[in-house]
Amino acid sequence: MLQKVYDWVDERLDITPLWRDVADHEVPEHVNPAHHFSAFVYCFGGLTFFITVIQILSGMFLAMYYAPDIVNAWESVYYLQNQVAFGVIVRGMHHWGASLVIVMMFLHTLRVFFQGAYKKPRELNWVVGVLIFGVMLGLGFTGYLLPWDMKAVFATKVGIQIAETIPVIGPIAKTFLSSGEIIGAQTLTRFFAIHVFFLPAALLALMGAHFIMIRKQGISGPL
Amino acid sequence: MHRGKGMKFVGDSRVPAERKPNVPKDYSEYPGKTEAFWPNFLLKEWMVGAVFLIGYLILTVSHESPLERKADPTDAGYIPLPDWYFLFLYQLLKYKYAAGDYVLIGTIVIPGLAFGALLLAPWLDRSPERRPSRRPVATGLMLLALISITYLTWESVVTHDWNKAAQQGKIITSKVDKKDPGYEIFKGQSCIGCHGSELSGGSGPSLIGTGLKPEEIMKIARKGRGAMPANAFKGNDADLKKLATFISKQKK
Amino acid sequence: MSKEDISRRQFLNYTLTGVGGFMAAGVLMPMVRFAIDPVLAKEANQDMVAVTEVAKIGDEPKRFNFKIKQKDGWYESEVTLSAWVYKNGKGEINALSPVCKHLGCTIDWNTDPGHPNQFYCPCHGGRYTKDGTNVKGTPPLAPLDVYESKVKDGKLYLGKAKPRKGA
Repeated sequence: MLQKVYDWVDERLDITPLWRDVADHEVPEHVNPAHHFSAFVYCFGGLTFFITVIQILSGMFLAMYYAPDIVNAWESVYYLQNQVAFGVIVRGMHHWGASLVIVMMFLHTLRVFFQGAYKKPRELNWVVGVLIFGVMLGLGFTGYLLPWDMKAVFATKVGIQIAETIPVIGPIAKTFLSSGEIIGAQTLTRFFAIHVFFLPAALLALMGAHFIMIRKQGISGPL
Repeated sequence: MHRGKGMKFVGDSRVPAERKPNVPKDYSEYPGKTEAFWPNFLLKEWMVGAVFLIGYLILTVSHESPLERKADPTDAGYIPLPDWYFLFLYQLLKYKYAAGDYVLIGTIVIPGLAFGALLLAPWLDRSPERRPSRRPVATGLMLLALISITYLTWESVVTHDWNKAAQQGKIITSKVDKKDPGYEIFKGQSCIGCHGSELSGGSGPSLIGTGLKPEEIMKIARKGRGAMPANAFKGNDADLKKLATFISKQKK
Repeated sequence: MSKEDISRRQFLNYTLTGVGGFMAAGVLMPMVRFAIDPVLAKEANQDMVAVTEVAKIGDEPKRFNFKIKQKDGWYESEVTLSAWVYKNGKGEINALSPVCKHLGCTIDWNTDPGHPNQFYCPCHGGRYTKDGTNVKGTPPLAPLDVYESKVKDGKLYLGKAKPRKGA
C-alpha cells in the first residue's frame, strides 16, 4: 500500500534521486568516530541542530499556554510551570535548551575555526554560520524577557540601554525595540513577535542555506 | 542517464518518464573506510544524540527552570543580570575604558570588531594553510578572545551577589495589605525605593517580620540606621505613627 | 550484492529506526502530555451559590441572575449566569439552564406568540416545554440542562448545570 503511494508520487515528481543523494552520500573516514575517537568534535553541529529542533518543538507547545501580555505573562508562565502536567519539564527543556544550543554552537564554531574549515571554498557557509550565531543570540535576548519576571525586565532594560549608546541610530533603535519610552506592554508583544516569528523564520532560512551548502561542498578534508 | 533527443516525460511535465530505481548503493562502492550516510553513519550520530538527550532530560528534570517574582519595573533596588552568555559583555562595561566617556569602546568598538572579524575570518586569514599551528595570528587572536571571554564571565560571576539577587527575585506569597492606610504612606514616602513595593527589601533590608515595636520604627524613620539616612521620613507624627504600626504588623 | 550485505543494512535500518524512535519519544512525550493536560484534568468542583429566596419562586418560570467565581487557568473572574427557576406541581424547584441545546443561543420563556408557555430560542426557533423537554420537530436534540440545586435557610443554591438524559 505504502509502496504504491510512494510509486504514484515518485512517477510524477521523481523524488527518489532527492533523498537517495542524501542517504547514499559517502561519509569520509576522518569524521567517523568508529575510526578516530577524536572525530567526536564533528558532532557539535549535529547536536546544535538537534537542540534547535527541540527548541522549536518545546516553544510551539509552550505557546499553547503562554500569554504575551504584561498582566498575564507571568501568571501564565507560573501556571504552566506549576499547574500543568509536565509543564516544569517542557519549560525546562526550552530554558536549558537555550543555554545548551549556545554552548554547542560555540563548540561547533571553534571546531570549524581551529580546523581552518572556513577557508576557500567554504567562505560563504562560514558567513551564514556566523549569522546563525547572531540570530541565536537574538533569540536568547528576546526570549529572556517573555516570562516577565524581575530579571527579565531588568536585563532587557540594560540591554536596551546598551543599544541606546550607539551613535546616531541608538535612540531610534531603543524606541524601535521597546516600542516607546518604557519597557512595558508594547515591548513584551514586540519581543514576543520577534522571538516566535521573525527570528525563527530567519533561522530556518539560514539553516537551510547552511545545509544545502554542506551537501553541495561536502565536509572539509582531514587536516 | 538518458538525456536530449528522444527523451520521454511524465505527461506534460519536465519529470523524465524513465525512473531511477530506488536501490541503495552497494557497500562495495564505498572505498577505503568511508561509509554510507544512511543508515551506517546516521546511526552513530543518532546514538550520540540519544546519549545527549538522556543527559539533557536528566538536567531538565533535576533542575527546575527558574522563575522570579512578577516584574515590578518601579523596583529600583533590583540588581539586573543578563543571561550567562551575555555576562562577558556586561562585565566589559564595568571597566573604566569601556564605560563613562569611553562607553562606545565597550558597546560598539570592541564587540563590533570581534563580531566583524569573526564574520570576515575567511578574508582576513587567506592562506591555504589549515593547521592551527601554521597560522599563528588567527589561532592566537581566537585564543586571546576565548581567554578574555572566560575571564570576563568569571569576574562577572564572582562579583555578583547571588544570594542577594535570589532574595530580591523570590516569589513572595505573603501578600502585603495594600489597602492599609499605612501602605499609602509607605508608598507616598521614599520608603518604597529601597524597601520595595512588597516590603521585601531591595537596596534596603526587608521590612517583613522585623520584630520591632512601632516606637522603634518611628525612631529609625526619623534618625536613620546603618545605610539609611536620617530624616528619611518627611511628614507629621500622625502619619508616621500609622506607617510604623503598619510595618510592625508585617509578619513573616 | 551478497545476501549478507542486505541483512547487515536491514539490521542497521532497524537499529536506526529504534534509536530515532527513542529520541522522538523522549522529546515528544513530555510535550504531548503537557498539551493534552486539559483533556485529562479532573472536572473542577464548583461551589453552590445562593441565587434567590425560595419565597420568590413561583409556578411560572422566572429568570434569576447569579454570579460565580470562574477559574480559567491563570485567569480568575466573576461570571454572571442565569437560570429559569419555577416550582413544579409537586412543589419541587426546577432550575433550567438558559443555553439552547441546539447551538448555544439563549432561550426565553413565552416569547413565541404561536406557542405560549414554552421556552423559545430565537436563533432557529427551537422550543422546549416548561420542564425543559425539547419539542420534537424543532432543532434541539436534547432537553435543557438542569442546575444542581439545594435549599438551605429559605434560600436556593445552585451549582453546575448538568445535561439530562432522554429526548
